Amino acid sequence: MLLQLKNISKWVQSGGQRVFLLKDINFWVNEGDFISIMGPSGSGKSTLLNIIGMLDDFDQGEYTFLDEKVHNLKEKHRANLFKQHIGFVFQAYHLVDELTVKENLEMPLLYKKVSSSERKSLVADMLDRFNIVGKKDLFPSQLSGGQQQLVGIARALIASPKLILADEPTGNLNSKQGEEIMEVFTQLNKEGVTILQVTHSEKNMTYGSRVINLLDGKMQ
Amino acid sequence: MFKNYIKIAIRNFRNQPFLTFLNIFGLAIGMMGSLLICLYIYDEFSYDKMFADADRIYKVNVDLKYGSQAREFATAPPAMASALVNDYPQVEQATRFRRSGSMMIHKTDTKKNIKSTGNTFVDPSFFDMFGIHLIEGDVKTALQEPNTLVLTKSGAQKYFGSDSALGKNLVVENRDTYTVTGIIDDFPQNSFLRDYTVFMAMSGLEDSKSLSWTNNNFYTFVKLIPGENIKNFEEKLQSIFSRYVVPFVQKNISPDITEERFKSEGNYLRYTTTNLTDIHLSSNRVAEMNLNNDIQNIYILSCIALFLILLAIVNFMNLSTAQSLRRAKEVGVRKTLGSNKWDLIKQFLTESGVQSGIALLLAITIATIAMPYFNQLSGKMITIPFDNPIFWLILVLAVLVLGILSGSYPAFYMSKFKPALVLKGGKGNSIDASRIRNILVVFQFAISVILILSTLVIYQQLQFIKNKDVGFAKEQTLLINDVYTAGDQLQSFKQEVQQLTQVKHTTLTSFLPTPSNRRDHAYYLDGVAAQENTIQMQSWAVDHDYVSTLDLEIIAGRDFDRQFKTDSTAIIINETSGTILGLTPAEAIGKKLALDDGSNETIYTVIGVIKDFHFQSLRDDVEALGLRLESRASMLVVKLDTDQYADTIDKIEQIWNKVASGQPFDYYFMDDSFNNLYQSEQQLGDIFITFTSLSLLIACFGLFGLATFNAEKRTREIGVRKVMGASVSQVTYKLTIDFLKLVGIAIVIALPIGWYAMNRWLEGFSYHTELSWPMFALVAFIVIAISILTISYQSIKAAMANPVKSLRTE
Repeated sequence: MLLQLKNISKWVQSGGQRVFLLKDINFWVNEGDFISIMGPSGSGKSTLLNIIGMLDDFDQGEYTFLDEKVHNLKEKHRANLFKQHIGFVFQAYHLVDELTVKENLEMPLLYKKVSSSERKSLVADMLDRFNIVGKKDLFPSQLSGGQQQLVGIARALIASPKLILADEPTGNLNSKQGEEIMEVFTQLNKEGVTILQVTHSEKNMTYGSRVINLLDGKMQ
Repeated sequence: MFKNYIKIAIRNFRNQPFLTFLNIFGLAIGMMGSLLICLYIYDEFSYDKMFADADRIYKVNVDLKYGSQAREFATAPPAMASALVNDYPQVEQATRFRRSGSMMIHKTDTKKNIKSTGNTFVDPSFFDMFGIHLIEGDVKTALQEPNTLVLTKSGAQKYFGSDSALGKNLVVENRDTYTVTGIIDDFPQNSFLRDYTVFMAMSGLEDSKSLSWTNNNFYTFVKLIPGENIKNFEEKLQSIFSRYVVPFVQKNISPDITEERFKSEGNYLRYTTTNLTDIHLSSNRVAEMNLNNDIQNIYILSCIALFLILLAIVNFMNLSTAQSLRRAKEVGVRKTLGSNKWDLIKQFLTESGVQSGIALLLAITIATIAMPYFNQLSGKMITIPFDNPIFWLILVLAVLVLGILSGSYPAFYMSKFKPALVLKGGKGNSIDASRIRNILVVFQFAISVILILSTLVIYQQLQFIKNKDVGFAKEQTLLINDVYTAGDQLQSFKQEVQQLTQVKHTTLTSFLPTPSNRRDHAYYLDGVAAQENTIQMQSWAVDHDYVSTLDLEIIAGRDFDRQFKTDSTAIIINETSGTILGLTPAEAIGKKLALDDGSNETIYTVIGVIKDFHFQSLRDDVEALGLRLESRASMLVVKLDTDQYADTIDKIEQIWNKVASGQPFDYYFMDDSFNNLYQSEQQLGDIFITFTSLSLLIACFGLFGLATFNAEKRTREIGVRKVMGASVSQVTYKLTIDFLKLVGIAIVIALPIGWYAMNRWLEGFSYHTELSWPMFALVAFIVIAISILTISYQSIKAAMANPVKSLRTE
């Protein structure tokens, strides 16, 4: 089991009352899963993803990642865990505008203190794998949305994480580009990468092996 | 990693060239200003440190209070030096200087005089005490014999050109022949001997052998043995009073005086010391050897330097945090890719370090270009010490410190962004940041307001001085120097000049209300040497035409008159003298004042009282003054009745060349000389206006940058407002008023502070202008006007933009 959420709740105080963003979420992810989180706007999909990605805190419940109790971990330890095992893919790609494709890919490795030669070969591998060698010196603004998202996925993958968290990865793309990106995810999943995606689209949902439906912060 | 930081820093600069430029240029200007001021202050503190044992060399001063007058002399009695060497084992050696005014010097083979201004008599111990090396001549014999002198290199050059000077003779004042017995190096600009070129043997000066303890005419320096405590020495110094001064006064002036009686009446005679290296900045006594600076000016300049650099740092923080919103996404992404807070702090500090490094290079470049102008402003000869490794070390440290200081806030602020929030398009914690930005803007403008107010007050005081009725006519008055060189032709020179139609009055004197000779004597009312009858009074030698030429106002009695032969023992006093003696002007007429110059006593009769006129800087109160007829004079004062100066001066020079051929003709205008009195105030004013402009420029950079940023940030809001029907002027007003509120707060905070500070400064003048509300209003107006100009461009631009376009950007 890769991770497990037990009775996770998150709320905000509003006018003296608790407004639940998430309430009693329970589920687990095994290695190799491809899970889709579905739900309308405001149902808490992204909040859940952020909690799993350790970018956000929760108020109640237990979160276990690779047998470590995330909610008990020190900040530094948690950051390490996250650095080692989780990769993010965003709807708006979130590439660093000032860096080229190659440099964007390299960035996670810098934070993992990977040596220069190793970084070079890893970046070259990724460029190869995603067929974007010709784009390596371009800046994000010179790429199409689909290409940017490819770079985003490549960047998420480069540190070989166990888990990829994708927040509406095709939300900003047209249907053809979207299909291509989903094909990439399917391929990655076949290679053993665990994928957790948040999506709106019924079509994208079908790529996954399991679906979690959220409505108003609760699992349906 | 570091490379990555630098790379992204440079790309960020490239994407935001304008804001980056403002950021770096503002910092550079602040650095440049501070650098110049620091070099200036460093130079000021370097005075006299070049002398080997400077830490052990002290000048002995005399503080005297007798009757109603208290004075602090920079000089000591002639016998002080030998008494100190003989009586005090702590004293290793002593040297005296006795300034000699300007002198006419010529070589033996010509009659053509050259004027020399830096002349002093000096004891032979001078060389050893100050560690002065003779380039030519023998240190053991130089200055031992009377009528020998030592020249500095440039002094020798002046009289002998490239010829060797050693052993040659010079004729001083067409009278005494001196032999050159040594050549020394010129003294550096930051030494108390910088202006001196001619050092004459003290043994040739009769006065130097005097045993008088009441004349304070000699600059007396002592070198203490190593390790001697100066407080200790100063305490022991006080016994000089009972050991030498009291017996001397009893014997020569007033037999019945005792130490107890003298002191019981609140009088004192104290001896103090000033370390050689402190003289330049903290000695402001009667008759200093040089025009010293005031430590207060150093404090003021330090404040300005600090202000400038603070302004620049604040600017940097402001613009950086403002820009940080653009970087929010990058921070978020980096955090999701595994960066921790420290990585980000390091990254942003690297960026600010790089910027401050670039700013420093820019600052040094500008400083190098601005140096001549700054030297002119400060009257110095400063160069940037590029060859000094410590200078570079300090610069590197400065870059690091400034980089960290100015980068710290943005770095810590941005590194705290929550990725989950900023990646969704949230603004981090921007309310908090904008409040701090507002505080920083208020701070910047408060400093600018204080500086502007100070500048205006200084200039108003200068204006006040220039326009104040000083009680004498200084306009259209020509002063011809060194007329004594005409010898017995002097009177006929005066007569002939007086004949010129363009000339109203002429008078011969050495004493003027503008900087010139000063001489004071103690007079005793009714010839009784009791304390209440004693007045220490300037006693000036004048001729019959003095009062009319300077247009002084007689308020009682009469002017000197050639009809009265008895006027040779008459004296005209000023109002203040009367007040000190407890006499009204009318009562003073006919009173007798006795002057005892040590050898004989002369009784003067008061024949007139003149209205007080300012013969010192307006910093000081008018002192007691008496005018006496005496024929010795060094200057001819010519009151002109024309504006055709050049023509008249030509004519006077022709007359001069006729009566005194071969003697230099040297003239200047009295109002120029008057203005020179206030040179240090003028300089302060100029320095203030320069650095105030710089600080205002920096503050405007900051404001402009923020306005740019603000307009950008509020594009959507502006678009919405316009769609709702707001006009361009309404939007512009909305954007401008937010900033003006800050400027208004700054004004309200800063004006009282500025008022307090400038009041303190003005109190240094006995006569000064008053701070007034219109001036405060003017400062407020200037600052608000400049702010509006700075902000409005961006505000109007944003307000005019097409809302359809701006709404689409989101």
